Amino acid sequence: MNTHVSLFIPCLVDQFLPEIGTDTARLLEGLGVSVSYDPRQTCCGQPMINAGRTDRAKPLARRFIDIFYEASKDGAVVAPSGSCVHTVTHHYPELLDGEYREKAQDLARRVYELSDYLVNVLGVTDVKSGFTGTVTYHHSCHIVRGLDIMAEPIALMDAVPGAQMLPLPDMDVCCGFGGEFSAGYPEISGAMVEDKVQKAIATGAEYLVLAEPGCILNIRGYVEKQGLPLKVLHLAQVLADRGDAPGKEAAS
Amino acid sequence: MKIETERFVEKAREGLANESQREVLARLPVLFKGLRDYAFSTLPDARAALDTGAAIRLDAVARLPELLKQFEENVTKNGVTVLWASDYADAKEIVLKLAKERNVKTVTKGKSMLSDEMGLNEALIASGIDTFETDLGEFIVQQAKRPPFHIVGPAVNMPVDEIADLFVDVMGVERTTDLNELNMQARRFLREKFLSAEMGITGVNMAVAETGTMVLVENEGNIRYSTSAPKTHVAIMGIEKVVPTMTDALHMLRLLTRSCTGQAISSYVSFINGPKNEDDLDGPEEVFLIIVDGGRSKIYADPEFREVLQCIKCGSCLNSCPVWTKVGGYAYGWVYSGPIGAVLNPLLLGQDRTKDLYFATSLCGTCRSVCPAGIDHPKLFLKLRERRARGDKTFGGKKPPITERLTMSTWAWGLGKDSRYRLGSRLFRLAVRPFVRGGKIKTLPGPGRGFTEVRDLPEPPGKTFRDRWRDILGAKSDG
Repeated sequence: MNTHVSLFIPCLVDQFLPEIGTDTARLLEGLGVSVSYDPRQTCCGQPMINAGRTDRAKPLARRFIDIFYEASKDGAVVAPSGSCVHTVTHHYPELLDGEYREKAQDLARRVYELSDYLVNVLGVTDVKSGFTGTVTYHHSCHIVRGLDIMAEPIALMDAVPGAQMLPLPDMDVCCGFGGEFSAGYPEISGAMVEDKVQKAIATGAEYLVLAEPGCILNIRGYVEKQGLPLKVLHLAQVLADRGDAPGKEAAS
Repeated sequence: MKIETERFVEKAREGLANESQREVLARLPVLFKGLRDYAFSTLPDARAALDTGAAIRLDAVARLPELLKQFEENVTKNGVTVLWASDYADAKEIVLKLAKERNVKTVTKGKSMLSDEMGLNEALIASGIDTFETDLGEFIVQQAKRPPFHIVGPAVNMPVDEIADLFVDVMGVERTTDLNELNMQARRFLREKFLSAEMGITGVNMAVAETGTMVLVENEGNIRYSTSAPKTHVAIMGIEKVVPTMTDALHMLRLLTRSCTGQAISSYVSFINGPKNEDDLDGPEEVFLIIVDGGRSKIYADPEFREVLQCIKCGSCLNSCPVWTKVGGYAYGWVYSGPIGAVLNPLLLGQDRTKDLYFATSLCGTCRSVCPAGIDHPKLFLKLRERRARGDKTFGGKKPPITERLTMSTWAWGLGKDSRYRLGSRLFRLAVRPFVRGGKIKTLPGPGRGFTEVRDLPEPPGKTFRDRWRDILGAKSDG
């Protein structure tokens, strides 16, 4: 079993949502995993790939591999994000050539999205979370379709004794984030997030939980701008909760 | 057909503001998903069936030249005259020549996206030939002079009231909003056209190489009529429609009807093997097949985009697309809309005038997950973006403006070293400070404007994750 984790903290988490990073670390340590974080890491280059600027993404990809390749040889790289993991596992091997391509293919086998790592590597579903509340869960695109991870976060949520899960209709339909898409096409993206939030509120749940930082910025940002009664949390925040008011810092 | 792909943003806005259209679009994905899911549940292993479909189409497109040759031989043996057209103009000229030689006054048409690409109806009508679309939806949009809203249901967005008015104008009938009666009005009107048409023109859903069979799929019987009542049947097909064997065709048929309308099988499937035999009661006396390139061989020659030719035009990527189901089909400005339109329109029209089509997507991948032909649409959007960024001219790409290039290059440069990243992080905090109100950024100028139009951005916290981690490590070593 991999018991050492090198944290891969997406730039959005580092800059805007650091509590998701600290909760991820705390959660893993609580499960007996030794956790490290290399502060040389910046961004995986996903925005450049999405903009078609593969020329600018390549150096970032090589840099990522230089930082994580050796450090994770006897363990795993874990991120509280699906789209960043997808960038590393699905885009890097195509983006790079030669030795770096081989390293990217090799590294891809030990880079995990958080729920995937917990359930499929550690073999844990009950992480002893003290969270309480009514919850509905949204499957973010790059986790559910990009990485084919759907059952894992639900299993983790179902195992939280204080969480009452309510089903979200169209739970795997995009929330409208899409990185640059959300800024470039605000009307379309806005109609999509409106739809998602209305459906979440209609479930009657107090919390909407998901595992993708970008989607959190999008959905929570919409909820706050509109002043709507919904708290948006990252899965890591729910799972790391010790029973003290969950994610107060960000979700209030 | 008029090309309005440059007006995507404006037309998307119109679509979003159109209440009745939004209502239809809100119901459509639910309806289609239900029908599709049920139809696929009747297969023993739906995923395997889709994978097999992808493999059949991959194989067919990989062997396109060889299969087209085989198909041509066999369809010719069946008594069909094959004519090749390199572009839309060629293809139209051939159709017009055939019509003139036969002194054709009336044409009935089966639904064909290729014919929309070519602008065939306009060409026929300009030559004084009465041309009638006979698929109900296609008939409605032809008469309303509108582009198709959806590649399968071209008039699916039109309110009944508008159709009722249209029918009064076009046919001089009594106004009704009764659906059956509207249907009957179109049926009576078109029945006359079928009986008088000297030529029927249809598309082709699949061309079976080993047997030389043309397979046509429909629900209304109008294609069956157009291919059996008129003396001359002219079929038009793009070069990508060929499949190797009848077994392959039947498998693709299972996937097509399930993906398209959620049916296990459509009401009509025609297997056309040439003109009528001497002892046949009906059928055309002569059958022509025009095989059209129309920009497809250029796509075929490009290994990065070739897979788009695997498309079987089922429309399932539209029905499930969170963007298409918000903005509707007109936004895409040409024949194809939704995810497949966001790839095909740029490749067929040039990627400069179609830029918004492949950028206005969240890359959510639903299209890929429902595609029965193995197309990875998001990958193709990214390839189009990459070609544009490089200024690659193969499909008419133009380099992005210098400001866009510099923004991205500077950003990437800033991410290339952690010291620069940390500096950038501090500069960002300083830059947004004037916009912070009560812990939130409510409006940003410049590139962040669009994001904050719809959402608040949290004020960047005083301590980033890396700062917090340093604190945690410090506390641990102290403890």
